[in-house]
Amino acid sequence: MMKKNVVNSVQVFMLLIMSVFFLFPIYIAVINAFKTDGEMARSILSLPQVLSFHNFITAFRKLDFLRTTFNTFIIASLSVIGIVITSSMAAYKITTSKLPAARFFYLLFVASMLIPFHSIMISLTRTAINLGVKGSLLGTVTIYIGLGVNMAIFLYSGFVKTIPMELEEAAVIDGCGPFRVYWHIIFPLLKPITATIAILDVLWIWNDFLLPLLMITNSKNYTLILSANKFFGKYEADWTSVLAGLLMTSLPLVIFYLIFQKHIVKGITAGSVKG
Amino acid sequence: MIKKNKRKEWKVLLLFLLPSLIFYALFMVVPVIMGMSYSFTDWNGLNPDYQFVGLKNFVDALTRDKYFLDSMKFTIKYVVVMVTLTNVIGLLLAVFIDKRIKTKNMFRTIFFLPNMISFIIGAYIWQFIFRKVLGELARHNLLGFLDQPWLGNPNFSFWAIVMMSLWTSVGYVMVIYIAALQGVPAEYKEAAKVDGASGLQVFFKVTLPMIMHAVSINLFLMLNNSFKAFDQIYGLTGGGPGRSTQVMSLNVYEEAFSSYYRYGYANAKAIILFLFVLVITLIQLKFTRRKEIKV
Repeated sequence: MMKKNVVNSVQVFMLLIMSVFFLFPIYIAVINAFKTDGEMARSILSLPQVLSFHNFITAFRKLDFLRTTFNTFIIASLSVIGIVITSSMAAYKITTSKLPAARFFYLLFVASMLIPFHSIMISLTRTAINLGVKGSLLGTVTIYIGLGVNMAIFLYSGFVKTIPMELEEAAVIDGCGPFRVYWHIIFPLLKPITATIAILDVLWIWNDFLLPLLMITNSKNYTLILSANKFFGKYEADWTSVLAGLLMTSLPLVIFYLIFQKHIVKGITAGSVKG
Repeated sequence: MIKKNKRKEWKVLLLFLLPSLIFYALFMVVPVIMGMSYSFTDWNGLNPDYQFVGLKNFVDALTRDKYFLDSMKFTIKYVVVMVTLTNVIGLLLAVFIDKRIKTKNMFRTIFFLPNMISFIIGAYIWQFIFRKVLGELARHNLLGFLDQPWLGNPNFSFWAIVMMSLWTSVGYVMVIYIAALQGVPAEYKEAAKVDGASGLQVFFKVTLPMIMHAVSINLFLMLNNSFKAFDQIYGLTGGGPGRSTQVMSLNVYEEAFSSYYRYGYANAKAIILFLFVLVITLIQLKFTRRKEIKV
């Protein structure tokens, strides 16, 4: 019994140490974001003497926070909608079609899942220029759809296989066209996996850095992360407002996580088990 | 009649495939083919004429390009350390958290939260820690050993990158392990205990074999993610000091988008990166799949 207690205390101790390691960077960033430069220089470690929101106001303006958040929101939501609709359509027919070619298309999509983004980024940038989609919000959406369908089709196909197809057959006999069958019968049944895919893609696109860095040059179309990167590059020495900006940039997704925690954890687990 | 049916099925299949296929062809298939074909040329990206040079770019990259070879070595070192540490720490945390019903959610949130912060933002927050905070801690006689030239000395900056990457990645691995641990029936563990097995024996003989599928997934995930690590390093050290912490993806990025412009050559390096990832993930999958137990 003694031994069990010792093991238990050691575990609690290690959990607490690790918690400090995980929380400390956020804690120290938060307390310094409220200080003036002078106060930070004097005492990085202590709590701020007065709560001043000055740095946050500066960062809000320099980040163009509302516009860049809106841009990110537009890009992420339209991309996710596009990925979900196009992939579920494709996966549904790929999995249920009796044609041998369906298997070929499945492999065509899934094969690219192993290709790292960095291996295609050079020619992707050039393709985007040639097609005239480089830099615009909608153009960026089309690229995200192109890059996101492979995994979504993979996950959807796995799920479609588990749906009993009697429902579909009954609907066809009742004279439903293929598109109505998909939209009214199949798509609603896919809801759990749609949630998983949407969550994984929101996390990916919202926090993505390299693709916007390569594509978006006009500051009007910056995403939040891209704007934070430029802000950091310009005001590197001005730590207090930089920290305020970095925290503000992280805020939307942290709130998203705290609200949808259960779904996000479930989505990650489900997505990884199938992936 | 059959022929007509078949034609109709083709029509429906293509109709449903078309939307995704268009985007996929434009932004995945075309870049892949384009990248591959230019990798065999000496095109500089601008000049209308260029030559087919065969495998020259690949041979050059693998034999002469010192920075690229260094980045390869650095990547391997980073991948090995990251795959091991994220899995060991993630699994330990999951095991410690799993049985503490009251505090489980709190700890899971703490360890997972950094994963919600974009890697590049996390890297900048850590720059602040390394540049400003750790030295200050030492001045207050706290953890003096942490006062090192973290971003100025190659040996230290490797560990700075590892520390920051662990901070963002461990939570993700842990979440997957927690889910797997919930799937291990308590009766199995109790039966082993009744038979006189110690806590460690129960873990290694009962629990671990039953969560092998999660081990396999996490190894695959971390192997893939660490090979592709870019943001963390771009944000924390920018590949420096010098080029001492340059990973392959960063080397490809620099080759393609800054200083000199060797388009064909950069594409060849990008393909080597892909082949590298491919071979190693296939080996890993083959290796761990064999050890999985179907529950």
